[in-house]
Amino acid sequence: MKSTLSILWMLSRPAPGSKAVMVLPAVAFALVTALLLIVLAGALSFFTNTAADDPTGMAGIYQMLAAFAVSLMVLPMMTLGGSAARLSARRRDERLSTLRLLGGTPALVSVLTIIESTLVAVVGIAAGIVLYAAALPAIALIHFQGQALGLATLWLPGGVLFIAVAALILLAAISAALGLRLVILSPLGVRTRQKAPTVHWLRLALGAGAAVVLYLVMTVATASGSAAIMIVVLCAAFAGGLALLNLMGPFVVKWIATRRLARATTPVRLLAARSILESPKAAWRQVSSLSMTSFIAVVAGTGLAIIASAGDAHNAEDAILYGDMRTGVLITVIVSFLLVASSAGVNQAAAVLDRRELYVSLDRLGMPRPIMESARKRAVMWPVQIVTIGSGVLAAVLLFPLTGLAIIFAPVSVLVIAGILAGGIGLVWLGLAASAPILTAVLREA
Amino acid sequence: MTSTFLSARSLSKRYGAGIALNNVDLDIHPGESVAIMGASGSGKTTLLHTLAGITSPDSGSVNYEGTDVTGLNETQRSKLRREAFGFVFQSGLLIPELTAIENVALALMLNGVPRRDAEAQSLGWLAHLGLAGMENRRIGELSGGQAQRVAIARAQVTGARIVFADEPTGALDSTTSAEVMTALLNATAGRGNTLVLVTHDPTVASRCSRTLFMHDGVLSLAPTSRPAATQAIPGASTGTTFLPQLSQDGEARA
Ligand SMILES: Nc1ncnc2c1ncn2[C@@H]1O[C@H](COP(=O)(O)OP(=O)(O)O)[C@@H](O)[C@H]1O
Ligand SMILES: [Mg+2]
Repeated sequence: MKSTLSILWMLSRPAPGSKAVMVLPAVAFALVTALLLIVLAGALSFFTNTAADDPTGMAGIYQMLAAFAVSLMVLPMMTLGGSAARLSARRRDERLSTLRLLGGTPALVSVLTIIESTLVAVVGIAAGIVLYAAALPAIALIHFQGQALGLATLWLPGGVLFIAVAALILLAAISAALGLRLVILSPLGVRTRQKAPTVHWLRLALGAGAAVVLYLVMTVATASGSAAIMIVVLCAAFAGGLALLNLMGPFVVKWIATRRLARATTPVRLLAARSILESPKAAWRQVSSLSMTSFIAVVAGTGLAIIASAGDAHNAEDAILYGDMRTGVLITVIVSFLLVASSAGVNQAAAVLDRRELYVSLDRLGMPRPIMESARKRAVMWPVQIVTIGSGVLAAVLLFPLTGLAIIFAPVSVLVIAGILAGGIGLVWLGLAASAPILTAVLREA
Repeated sequence: MTSTFLSARSLSKRYGAGIALNNVDLDIHPGESVAIMGASGSGKTTLLHTLAGITSPDSGSVNYEGTDVTGLNETQRSKLRREAFGFVFQSGLLIPELTAIENVALALMLNGVPRRDAEAQSLGWLAHLGLAGMENRRIGELSGGQAQRVAIARAQVTGARIVFADEPTGALDSTTSAEVMTALLNATAGRGNTLVLVTHDPTVASRCSRTLFMHDGVLSLAPTSRPAATQAIPGASTGTTFLPQLSQDGEARA
């Protein structure tokens, strides 16, 4: 008993350099919690606010759009929560060696690590709740349906809050357990896969075919010119476009990385291109939610700009609806970028820890640290740029006559969209920069 | 008389209560191959890393061709390692997503050689080491012995005059180990460069021109089984500076 306690004590002390491994997941969980609660509160307000009085009769549309937006954001949130918990579970590696010296069992370490990762998540979740509460006064000022949301509607009911928090804690515990399993499967950390996986060209053919069909449908539909059909078309473009992007994304990423590899002249470019080619699918997956984001930004942004500038919204309600959709799109885009930025930081931290030994050896060979840093940043930023710009361009092409009109009649809206996308890319860069201390710590420990 | 080009004076290094290097003096001459043997934990890796400017000693100094390595800052030492030294580690530690030729060429590219030239030179080295036709394989597609030969090519493609190898055959079977040692010796001492090698395999050590022994942080000419208590204490051996010299008696006998 006494020895178990002393093992517990030994293991509970943070290993040198592991501070960032604890802080990053906690911050990620705080962000996920705050965003989840805010988004839920905002969405729910459409269900409670308009239940009693619905003068415009548009409650249904709002509720549908809100539910849609939430469904788009929940998956990236879960993904981020999952990778954050897995990151904190990596500490188990360091512990196993400590444990062998102390004579404990691997099962004990596993259980302790899951508990610890969950505790880190709980701390983050608690901070997230505080963040949510602190952000409410600002969120309350956002106008929907012609009035500010208001504080009163944004406080989540206790039951919802409880379920959301419980779900996040469960997510953390399960992900930590899964993270352990992964570590056990590959004890060496560095996976030396035999062959780089291939991405089938059929993806591109299928994608191109779907794009043509989609374009024809949309051209026919837009010709009719009514707002209702326009919304249906936008939704169809959206769903079809997303499917298309996910089909073609890995192929396009692979294709561009291959070209960059051939032309790479510096170590940084060589390393970044090879690192993407190691798994174009994984490179795509890490940033794929940005394809959705960029796509929404362009499709919805263009549609709304056209409608507004065409003066289609004659009545006040329509004008308000379009304005609100713009607000909704903006919020969705910002939240997605925040989530991808944090995911990138957390995933990179885990990747550095996984390849600790390799980074240490490269440092010994005299590879300058700034080169290691730039290479791993670029390996993420390239796909981010490809995805964001590619999806935006694809959306613009699919909507072609409309995008042309938008550029002519609503250049400011178009610039705003471009600015938001550029800002989002910058945000991801910051997320990556946040993982830099991990590499520094890994090299210092060696 | 051969000139000294890497020399260490009074190197000491402790980790907490443990002594990794205890007043070590060492002179290494151009073209020789030096094996450092000793039990696990005796300080071999620490000595190698200190000589190569990876680790800083608590006291003492390392001099490489007139440069005080221990006096350099981290950036300068990193530059020295990448330009003047070559390294081979136990498990190759090549970059898994790069091909064999890219791993080798990277060493040159880090020194500013354009990629095309770097790959051309690397191709020659790989062929020289019996890896012709395998240039475009990824590291995972190579055997342990082949990967070590890629690491040897990486260590010598820059023309480094000294190669530090830490248990380069530690993960290999005896046949492959002998082949890799042949490749390593040919690529280094065989071309007039210097090899400093850590091993605990006497067969491997016997192929070097000279063998030194580490025991609890103390370097000596012969294997020692003296208990730690009677080992040299820093300062106690003043006046009898212990300088293992290049000798022929450790020469390999085939
Ligand atoms: N980074 C380190 N932190 C703490 N102790 C270390 C470190 N590196 C080496 N040591 C200790 O120094 C001694 C010598 O280690 P090392 O040079 O690796 O020996 P060898 O290579 O002969 O096995 C050992 O007792 C080892 O535990
Ligand atoms: Mg060692």
